[in-house]
Amino acid sequence: MMTKRMKRVIKLFLPLVALVVTLSGCSLPGLGGTSDDTVRIAAQNTTEQQIMAAIIQGMIKHYSNLDTTVINNLGSATVSFQAQKNDEADLTAIRFNGTDYQTILKKSATKDPKVIATTVKRDFQKKYHMTYFPSYGFADTYQFMVTQKYAKEHNLNTVSDLKKTAPQMQVGIDQIWMNRKADGYGAFQKAYGFSFGHVYPMQIGLVYNALASNKMDAILGYSTDGRIGSYNLKLLKDDKQFFPPYQASVVANDKALKRNPQLRPILKRLDGKIPLKTMQRLNYQVDNNLQEPATVANKFLKDNNYFEGGQN
Amino acid sequence: MQNMNIFQQLFYYFAHNGMYVLSQFDRHFLISIYGVVFAAIVGIPIGIFIAKHRKLSGWVIGIANVIQTVPSLAMLSLIMLALGLGVNTVIVTVFLYALLPIIKNTYTGMLNVNADVLDAGKGMGMTRVQILRLIEIPLSLSVIMAGIRNALVLAIGITAIGSFVGAGGLGDIIIRGTNATNGGAIILAGALPTALMAIISDSVLGFFERKFDPTNKTSQ
Amino acid sequence: MINFFNQFGSQLIFKTWQHIYISGISLGLGVIVAIPLGVVLTRYKRISGFVIGLASVLQTIPAMALLAMMIPIFGIGAKPAIVALFIYSLLPILRNTYLGMENVDPTLRDAAKGMGMSNFQSIMRVELPLAAPVIMAGVRLSATYVIAWTALASYIGAGGLGDFIFNGLNLYRSDLILGGSIPVIILALVVDFLLGRLELLLTPKTTEEG
Repeated sequence: MMTKRMKRVIKLFLPLVALVVTLSGCSLPGLGGTSDDTVRIAAQNTTEQQIMAAIIQGMIKHYSNLDTTVINNLGSATVSFQAQKNDEADLTAIRFNGTDYQTILKKSATKDPKVIATTVKRDFQKKYHMTYFPSYGFADTYQFMVTQKYAKEHNLNTVSDLKKTAPQMQVGIDQIWMNRKADGYGAFQKAYGFSFGHVYPMQIGLVYNALASNKMDAILGYSTDGRIGSYNLKLLKDDKQFFPPYQASVVANDKALKRNPQLRPILKRLDGKIPLKTMQRLNYQVDNNLQEPATVANKFLKDNNYFEGGQN
Repeated sequence: MQNMNIFQQLFYYFAHNGMYVLSQFDRHFLISIYGVVFAAIVGIPIGIFIAKHRKLSGWVIGIANVIQTVPSLAMLSLIMLALGLGVNTVIVTVFLYALLPIIKNTYTGMLNVNADVLDAGKGMGMTRVQILRLIEIPLSLSVIMAGIRNALVLAIGITAIGSFVGAGGLGDIIIRGTNATNGGAIILAGALPTALMAIISDSVLGFFERKFDPTNKTSQ
Repeated sequence: MINFFNQFGSQLIFKTWQHIYISGISLGLGVIVAIPLGVVLTRYKRISGFVIGLASVLQTIPAMALLAMMIPIFGIGAKPAIVALFIYSLLPILRNTYLGMENVDPTLRDAAKGMGMSNFQSIMRVELPLAAPVIMAGVRLSATYVIAWTALASYIGAGGLGDFIFNGLNLYRSDLILGGSIPVIILALVVDFLLGRLELLLTPKTTEEG
């Protein structure tokens, strides 16, 4: 009697147990979880990051049988770095070497682009076993922007010209500039010798809107953004050359490159393929033409025949 | 784009990004379903167990209640600290929130089974497992279904927040819309399908709930 | 821990206050609108089914979607957040007020009428007190929702404890995540506990009178 009852209990629960075991296995079907042949691409919450993530995804799909998944909307370069370090992601769609030099390696010795590039590549390899690929071909940098009208009213052309109006100005910035060392607000005040009335850290995607709708007097934007064109914003020349250009590259975990050897040549195909003008155009299509980054990326790859033959 | 009103923009958006929306819709639904299925696998046996051992019921439901009271963003972030970014964190969060409605309803459903019917079953010489399988579960299925229904609606909402830890889904579209210039149409393109998914899931499971209702003669 | 309080202590107090303020206004407005509406509905049976049905459907809409839909209409900041949270808080209160009033024993209503009470007097002196525990349960549920969604509303610029959580997520700082999550969890649990006590307090009193 007892054994019969136990058998029935087992019979009842066995399918359930089996279900849990299969489902909680390495990867949940349909979601591209954590299985070995899934490439996990980290992307931050900017348009540019999401376009590049979709481009990488499209390239991997075109050239291999690997699965891909995008870990999207990460808030900063620190988060995507941590994700890679903790092996929650295999690569980050875009890393800027100048940012990594300061925020990850915590160095502020120089602003020389060459020194930054070699140091970051070397230290990422040595310390974190991550490979910094060659630049996509575009660099990004911080840039002060105002509306044409405001520029005319106050006769602004360079950042130094802001000195007079600065104490009354409201300035929109991204969420990390305040805390950056060598090129952050603190260093900026020292270099240019003035500070702004109010600075408002916000989601970088929102600063352009805020400027165009006159909620801000000036913003510190990214030079690659598509909205500079659509709002016809006035870029102020960094006359003290305070902000260095930051080369953009994909950075992958060595572990992932070893596990899936097809990956390295695929990523290498993008070397130098996306010059600044191209990136601005792609950003513009997403930011102004109601197209998803994935839609824009797929069209771009098709138009360029997935960079077939263009391997260096 | 500026010369179109928001609904024309929305239409334009769907026309150009339809496949993308569909893939995120799929992903969103899958994440929610996985969480709820796991919760059902764990929650229904727990519900049955505490219906048989009522001393435990206060404790178990109390704990599940506390979990329910915790704001979902806080829970999601805490689990993220433990499990890292990505989809698994969201599935675990959904699982935790789906537990309470499922456990509670299973428990209530089991308790509501008429004692006379149980006695009749015993009188016919049924074993405990037979009583469970042939009487208690079928009779409480409708109430359990109601719990799963609540759980799934909750799950769809939590999955939307899951985009903040990189899990993807329709929340991605909403977040991108909030970052975009004049993103109103994009926000709607993410928010409307999310709302629709919740409403449709609710009414479909509501249909099954009525179908399984033992007092509903049409299903017999 | 001590470090966190040194650095963010004053901010923590301010954000907590903001959180309570936004949740409180939304919930307060919800109570002011939903309870009378629920009462009125019991007098207009023809539309009550429709309104309650609509309320149930609205309640299934994920908060994230509802909050986001406010942006094109009201922009960002505390105002759209309060509007969205107010809509959210309406539903459980409305539903429970209606159900609570409906569940009042009809003979008591007749008795009230027999004693010469007007419709208004009957509602205020007999029906509402009897329905109070059920209404309170609705308020309690709404409070839980509103506190939770206020954390989310930080994303549309409303402020509150969600600011810590989002900053923590953005910068991968566990101290900020914990510094936002733990207070918001405590707030939710304390409010739930207090409203639960209030619900209990209202219950025996009405049974004595009934």
